[in-house]
Amino acid sequence: MIHALEARHAPVVSLWVWYHVGGRNEVPGTTGMSHFLEHMLFKGTAKHPKGDLDRLLARYGAQWNAFTNEDVTCYFETVPRDRYEVALELEADRMRDALISTDEVEAERTVIVSEREGYENDPSFLLGESLQAVAYDRHPYGQGVIGSKFEIKLMTRDGLYAHYRKHYAPNNAYVVVVGDDRAEALVEKAAAAFAAVKAVELPERSLAPEPPQMGEKRLVVHRAGGALPIVQLGFHTLAASDPRAAALQALVVALAGGGGGDSASGRSSRLYRGLVEKELATEIDASFGLTKDPFLFTIEATVRPGVTHRAVEEALLAELQRLVDEPLDEAEFARVRRGVLASVAFPSDTITWRAFRLGSLLSSGAAPSIGAWYEALSRVTPADLRAAAALTFVERSRTVGHFIPEAA
Amino acid sequence: MAIPGLRSVSALLAMEAGQFFEPAGRPGVARLTAQAMLRGTTKRDARAWSDALDALGASARLDVGSHAAVFSGQSLADDLGPYLDLVAETVVTPALAPESLEFVRAHTLAEIEEQKKDTRSVADQAWRELTYPAGHPFRTRSIGDEEVVRGAAIGEIRAHHRDGIHPHGSVLVLAGALDPGRAFDLAERAFGSWTGGDPAGRTVAPVVLDAARRRAVVVPDKTQADIVLGWPGLPRRDPRFTKAQVANMVFAADTFASRAGQVVRDELGLAYYVFSTISGTATQGPWAVRMGVNPENVERAIAVTFTELKKIRDGAIADDDLALARDKLVGELEVGRESPGGVAGMVLEAELFGLGDDHLDRYPRDIRAVTKADVVAIASALLPIDRYALAIAGPEIPPAR
Repeated sequence: MIHALEARHAPVVSLWVWYHVGGRNEVPGTTGMSHFLEHMLFKGTAKHPKGDLDRLLARYGAQWNAFTNEDVTCYFETVPRDRYEVALELEADRMRDALISTDEVEAERTVIVSEREGYENDPSFLLGESLQAVAYDRHPYGQGVIGSKFEIKLMTRDGLYAHYRKHYAPNNAYVVVVGDDRAEALVEKAAAAFAAVKAVELPERSLAPEPPQMGEKRLVVHRAGGALPIVQLGFHTLAASDPRAAALQALVVALAGGGGGDSASGRSSRLYRGLVEKELATEIDASFGLTKDPFLFTIEATVRPGVTHRAVEEALLAELQRLVDEPLDEAEFARVRRGVLASVAFPSDTITWRAFRLGSLLSSGAAPSIGAWYEALSRVTPADLRAAAALTFVERSRTVGHFIPEAA
Repeated sequence: MAIPGLRSVSALLAMEAGQFFEPAGRPGVARLTAQAMLRGTTKRDARAWSDALDALGASARLDVGSHAAVFSGQSLADDLGPYLDLVAETVVTPALAPESLEFVRAHTLAEIEEQKKDTRSVADQAWRELTYPAGHPFRTRSIGDEEVVRGAAIGEIRAHHRDGIHPHGSVLVLAGALDPGRAFDLAERAFGSWTGGDPAGRTVAPVVLDAARRRAVVVPDKTQADIVLGWPGLPRRDPRFTKAQVANMVFAADTFASRAGQVVRDELGLAYYVFSTISGTATQGPWAVRMGVNPENVERAIAVTFTELKKIRDGAIADDDLALARDKLVGELEVGRESPGGVAGMVLEAELFGLGDDHLDRYPRDIRAVTKADVVAIASALLPIDRYALAIAGPEIPPAR
């Protein structure tokens, strides 16, 4: 499946290849396999030995990278327009012909351990990973994406190769391309590049949904490697394909704006006003990811020195309840609506981000196009927002996590 | 700069009010001032200003860098007028109320506490203390010195705004869905009354490292060690700067395209990230390699980085490595045009440092003209292997086996 958009404002093309394989396709014991495999696709093919792809793309000044999440593994490169076909050739080549040698697996294993160790230095990551694990009893979303250090150390070359051959094929992927050419021409070139790559029989796997959570869950992470306490809340919520997903996206803006950190935008949001302005928290954040299966609506607050976890948790819950109880007034809703629409419009003015946006909407089933998603967001009403809050912020589907810094 | 086919405008307003222009011995005042400026103006309080900004759906932030304080953001094209009015209010007539200072002071102190446990921040601060002498503007991270942040009075913040935030040397760049004539009119309406300011004068003595300096800071209960290995760089206006950028790319700028990255990550698997940056400022900003590695691998990663540097200094540079570095730097200019923010950033750098109206045309040619001898000369002069600063922060490093 190939999707293309014309963007004429710069002489570049952004090519993204999305594979339907990620954390949700893994089983305990080999968690992190999709992410490990993502690294191995930069380690050479018979036609392009290790280093070839990196040096070719670097030479063009390209932006290129890859990521793995709960649902997908994705590779992209943004290149000068006249290098589009080279990018296509590289992606088509590694769709089926990656070498994944034993030596390279061993060399890359320590890099991935290092990546994981870098994350572990961040208290927010540690708490979030634990919260995700506690929130899910059955569904693989509870396993996360990168895997434990022990699983990374035990990953075998043959296991990785089998995972690759099973999931990497044109009938389990789609291509998104945005750039400086007619959409039809972009599609034609992509179709030609991938034409010779054969489809495979895809594994059938029925993924049972997560059983409903029957009551609040709580966890605590203690570590000396953090300075400020953190409170995280996770609520089981809806999949991206649910018609109410747009309202959940608006809920994120209502709660925390779109800025964060030192940004001056989003300071009219409920949590900024209710926690940061009231000197309970130094930072707040909210997120609702577009995922294939129902994931978590998460909220995080960094506790201000001298304030207790309990005070912050109570303030967060009070703000969430207020969204359920009190509809947004006209001015507040207008701000939220504008913020939500800007969150689509601004990144879309960058070609790479426009391609990412389209791909993430398609991969999760949220919308068939950026325009359709924009329309869905435009149609959200204050009543929709309130209903989404009432549906999501309930005690029985809540998981609460506290990070407690300890003296060294 | 007009870019057809877009819906938004990216704005960058750089004022010569970064760390270089901070009052001597008062690190942190510039950032406190910037943060306080975002908390209301003489026309509307912080809440009303935030309401107005969010009503536009616009983004805005004010960051203090080594050279400039930069207001950056994005608005929908139709909102450019009211957006620039809001920015101008903040810049020209901030309220700078005492309670705003107390609010940002508490936040900044909390951030300083967090940074004491953040291995990248700890390594960076330790490196600065090894490299720059007391009183140098870059000895402290822009967040500032804890005692200065605790003690700064509102009068000092207002004075810094009066003396440091002025149109002299400031540059406003707008890029995206705009009509240039209308954009100039809107900018004139917003900033036309902004006056005052003297050319900032600060003389900073050249920094020369006289020996290898090393410091390891243990940050308890961490898994990974972060390393900063570096030297005082060279001013952005130094005629050798472009050559230094090429040398930096050959050496370590990119995890995949540079020598150090290829060896440390790709060949030996010692680190997930390794890269170097050379900062463009009025004086010698940091030229530093940064990497995150397991404590067991710290010494090896440092050793192989030096091995790659030594090769460069000895002229053992493959022709293709040099060509790759030049191609990448030139190619990035073209690809960077994909975003209005990228375009604005390129124009801003040229304007801020007076690189000339033809800079963006000339720059690719200048990069292409850099030779192997230039790279060797730069590395020999600026990246000595016996005089450097090396900071490590993280778990205890095990003794060498």
